Amino acid sequence: MSLLPASWAHIGPVIAPLMWPLMRREWQHHPWRHAVALLAVALGVALAYSVHLINTSALAEFSSAVRTANGEPDLTLRAPQAALGGQAGFDDALFDRVAADPGVEIASPVLEVDTYAQAADGKRVAMRVLGIDTLRAAPLAPGLLPKPASGEGNLVVLDPDAAFPNPAARDRLGLADGQAMLLQAGPAWQRLRVAGTTPVGGAPLVVMDIAAAQQRFGLQGRLSRIDLRLVPGTQRAVLLARLNLPAAVQPVAPDDAEQRVSNLSRAYRVNLTVLALVALFVGAFLVFSVVSLSVAQRTPGFALLGVLGMTALERRAMVLAECAVLGAAGSLLGLALGAGMALGALRFLAGDLGGGYFPGITPALHIGPGSALLFAALGTASAVVGGWWPARQAEHIAPAQALKGMGLVDTTAPPAWPGLALLVGGTLAACAPPLFGLPLAAYLGVAALLLGGVALVPCVVHAVLLWVPPPRGALALLAVQRARFQRRTATAAVAGVVASLALSVALTVMVASFRTGVSQWLDSVLPADLYARSAGSSAAGEQAWLPADFSARAAAIPGVERVLASRTRALMLASDRPSVALIARPFGEPADPAQALPMVEPPLAPSVLKPGEAGVYVSEAMVALYGAKTGSTLLLPLADPPATARVLGVWRDYARQFGAIAIASSDYQRMTGDTRINDLALWLAPGADAGAVQQALRSLLPDPSMLDFAASADLRVLSLRIFDRSFAVTYYLQAVAIAIGLVGIAASLSAQVLARRKEFGLLAHLGLTRGQVVAVVAGEGAAWVAAGTLVGLVLGLAVSMVLVFVVNPQSFHWTMQLVLPWGRLALLCVAVLLAGIATAAFSARSAAGRSAVLSVKEDW
Amino acid sequence: MNPQRRRWLHTLAAAAATTGTTTPASARAGTEATTPDPVRRGRPIVFPRDHGAHLGVRTEWWYATGWLAGAAAAARPGAGSDTHATPLLGFQVTFFRSRTGLAQDLPGRFAPRQLLFAHAAVTDLGNKRHLHDQRIVRWNEDPAASTGRAALADGDVHIGAWAMRRTASAWATQVLARDFSLDLTLAASQAPLLQGDAGYSRKGPQDRQASHYYSEPQLQAGGSMTLQRRTATLAGRAWMDHEWSDEILHPEAVGWDWVGMNLFDGSALTAFVLRRKDGSPLWAGGSWRAAGSAASSFGPQQLQWTPGRRWRSPASGASYPVEWQLATPAGNFSVRALLDAQELDSRGSTGSIYWEGLSELLDAGGRRVGLGYLEMTGYAGRLKMA
Repeated sequence: MSLLPASWAHIGPVIAPLMWPLMRREWQHHPWRHAVALLAVALGVALAYSVHLINTSALAEFSSAVRTANGEPDLTLRAPQAALGGQAGFDDALFDRVAADPGVEIASPVLEVDTYAQAADGKRVAMRVLGIDTLRAAPLAPGLLPKPASGEGNLVVLDPDAAFPNPAARDRLGLADGQAMLLQAGPAWQRLRVAGTTPVGGAPLVVMDIAAAQQRFGLQGRLSRIDLRLVPGTQRAVLLARLNLPAAVQPVAPDDAEQRVSNLSRAYRVNLTVLALVALFVGAFLVFSVVSLSVAQRTPGFALLGVLGMTALERRAMVLAECAVLGAAGSLLGLALGAGMALGALRFLAGDLGGGYFPGITPALHIGPGSALLFAALGTASAVVGGWWPARQAEHIAPAQALKGMGLVDTTAPPAWPGLALLVGGTLAACAPPLFGLPLAAYLGVAALLLGGVALVPCVVHAVLLWVPPPRGALALLAVQRARFQRRTATAAVAGVVASLALSVALTVMVASFRTGVSQWLDSVLPADLYARSAGSSAAGEQAWLPADFSARAAAIPGVERVLASRTRALMLASDRPSVALIARPFGEPADPAQALPMVEPPLAPSVLKPGEAGVYVSEAMVALYGAKTGSTLLLPLADPPATARVLGVWRDYARQFGAIAIASSDYQRMTGDTRINDLALWLAPGADAGAVQQALRSLLPDPSMLDFAASADLRVLSLRIFDRSFAVTYYLQAVAIAIGLVGIAASLSAQVLARRKEFGLLAHLGLTRGQVVAVVAGEGAAWVAAGTLVGLVLGLAVSMVLVFVVNPQSFHWTMQLVLPWGRLALLCVAVLLAGIATAAFSARSAAGRSAVLSVKEDW
Repeated sequence: MNPQRRRWLHTLAAAAATTGTTTPASARAGTEATTPDPVRRGRPIVFPRDHGAHLGVRTEWWYATGWLAGAAAAARPGAGSDTHATPLLGFQVTFFRSRTGLAQDLPGRFAPRQLLFAHAAVTDLGNKRHLHDQRIVRWNEDPAASTGRAALADGDVHIGAWAMRRTASAWATQVLARDFSLDLTLAASQAPLLQGDAGYSRKGPQDRQASHYYSEPQLQAGGSMTLQRRTATLAGRAWMDHEWSDEILHPEAVGWDWVGMNLFDGSALTAFVLRRKDGSPLWAGGSWRAAGSAASSFGPQQLQWTPGRRWRSPASGASYPVEWQLATPAGNFSVRALLDAQELDSRGSTGSIYWEGLSELLDAGGRRVGLGYLEMTGYAGRLKMA
């Protein structure tokens, strides 16, 4: 392992057999202390490993479900979900041409429909319908083929009335063979017969014959995709040139679909992993504290070994070896713990830890040796890194001096430049652009900032104490002078506090900024009193729509003052990226987009539009992912040729991470001829009964379950509740970090007190009471903790800016304003300060017992 | 191919070839209601109309078999009657059509009203190899469909690049299979041979077990074949069967044996027997037509099939008699497969496993008097053909 020093080689045959008994003795004497360090490593590894396992298991499960449904074609020709004339897909006449091409061995047409099915209790369940030609799909997607129920006719796979729901769909709808399955097509239900099943895993899905699917869902002559197997040796480029595809149809390699699935949740997964690694980072500080204490206590022992012939390098190697063993043991425990946690989380929570990226799957745990080794190595390395500084301490012991009890006296001020260099490097890294679409450099920057801040603690102690006037009282003077004199050891004592407080401050500020941003955003996007929608996702909006006149009929309902109707559709702009949402809505008369949308900056006036262009307003993600800056143009595959739209402004959207485009309904209808709607925002007259309005609206539809309602206030509360739930894990992390930081203070101060027993003994002989000795130590501790708190706060603010201004925009493509919750930050700092002082006093009390008085006699 | 897919294909394909008994009654009723031209005794066979498809009838096939040799050898004058003709290759190209009875009122190009499937096989005698491939598509009965269609007015059926088409007095067929390709012309040298009672051929004890059936023996085959990336110009003799029916297989029958033999002297021998599960004959028929004469049909009691040496397929486990003694009103013959391994696994299309291969016809004296194809079905489970 590269982290281990070359001095491993120096552990000669003489020392090596001695090391194990020495380590064992140390652990036997202080089992709890080492257990805590081991547990810290184990927890860090467990958290990181479980998050990793859950992520990979969920992704593997989800990808395999997608792969089964997609089959394994060489190439897929696909249209954006929303396309020409407002109808999904593309004209199926293309199929004849493609199937007849000499370069094509098998062409399999597929119609994908996202809609709802009716469950036994009348509720709607989101359902994906795949219309396929079983005769052609067989070689390309064998996992998709229907399995007819026994007793069904032999040609049932071609039967226009037959439906083959997958296990998830059968389960959710409570369907058995032979029963009716109701699928929503526009404002009506289509009735099919459950004639078997299809073995595709994942979310609810139903397979049926393509001809019937076209007819049942009003998509006559439309296809979503054509999967191709090419004749061996066919050049893809030559084939595509020959096919001369319409603009709306794009060739997609199968890897793209896989990539799209992975991209969907990648930023979320990486951020979660980094958050989990923070636990490991904090664990390293605990190892540092515990091992520092242990080295301090064993200074006489090391000195004796030194006199007996153990070299300095061998002492260092021995401490590092102890850390490595501790880290390895902790890692093994952590792996077991992590696997258990992952198993539990997969069983009892969704596979995406509440992120909502992998709906409807219950993945099995995928454990590979590679990742286990990686996380064990990380855990061990964190322990070795934590033990690095104490190991250097053990190396630098002057045996003769130490045997006389004059151990760890190093009063020179440590240089400031490494810390400053880390701060500068961290800042630069934080400003770097994303790598592979992820804020990896920014994460490195955060780590560098934390380490640099910790390294600067002695300088800050020095600087702070320079400002403190020499106190009058002898005890206070003693404490301040001691704190100044021993400032190098201050790093050991408060490193944990600095790191944990910085993390807590950063997370507090980030969550507060985000929450404030979301709250303001909700105010702006939820202006109406009541919301009604026909589809929960933009993809389902293709089938679950409302007729164009529904808006007018809704407006006529007594108690309704104003109605704003919009149409939301999924639009695929890049084959390897998730779809963006297209929202067609009125912007008022005269158009006032700033009123309708939470614009980041005042939008351009529509007068900049050139003839033939439509004005659109895009979410921030569109700028990050598609370069759709204000004033630039976008090609919308809504017509053939695609319509040109100019970006007039950018708005904040915390709901759709992969981009959203808002367009005026009139422009959208002109491009597509699609007058259907999905969503209604309703302003009620004062005193109107929302329940009665809902009732009246529902009665306008053949089936009342086709409309979902939410009051503005409920949506707000619900959104913020979801927000708080998804950030609850950060509060837990803060608590763990601060607890670990405090344990670090306790361990470091105990080490100090032990190392300085003779000094305290001398003070006692000079007449100080035990209480006064404890007060001196506590005062010293207070000075350090105060400096640590200051550094931690400043550092935390710096890190929070990196999180708010760099990590969030780079990960999720949305920006927010920095909000500093001063009250909570002050509370946090005071709590840490008080807890630090209390810990210092407690440690001093327990360490400075009567033995200190006797220790003066040890001098020989 | 994974076993699951295999199983599935088997089910589907068995279904595709199914007629009558296993079809829902409603579908059958639909068929009857819309059948303008049912199979019946006395219906005249009219060409070229009856070379074309009969969409109202459940099952139909165009079945070309034959042998090929080097073009120079086959082109020798009188090659057709050369008793020492040495075939290099056998070929079989079959197009099937099956009416589903489904989607009658469904619009669109994917409406599955008909299924079209095709088998092609080549027997490479020199290398003792048997290669085959298959295709299956749905057809909405649109005469202009480009992915697969069957014309009504004359013989013209195709699936993608696979085609069988009549031009003037010849059939032309193109096949682009995985391991080989064929581009052949089968030119008539004799008039079509109407089987049974003027093209009405009984297949069982009941009247409804019947088909319309005609053959074109002694076709002059020529064209090119690509095998192992080598293309050769070849010539030989072929046999064409066109048959359509609503119900061929009697409920008690498990399969049939059939031969169509081109004799070197220009005569043609057709013989078939429908077997019960225990191997006993349920029904038999066939015909003999000497060169230049009228055909004479065989009654169900006039034929005797005696199985000889058997060959067990390592793939399916089925045991096929690859040598037969055939007693007919036209004489006693032996039929002997020129290669044992000529089994076709067509579960990807028709759903059945059968044996179809190039064989020789020997007279009572053991002299080779003709070449043709032997077909044996229902040896690997009952043929799902009703």
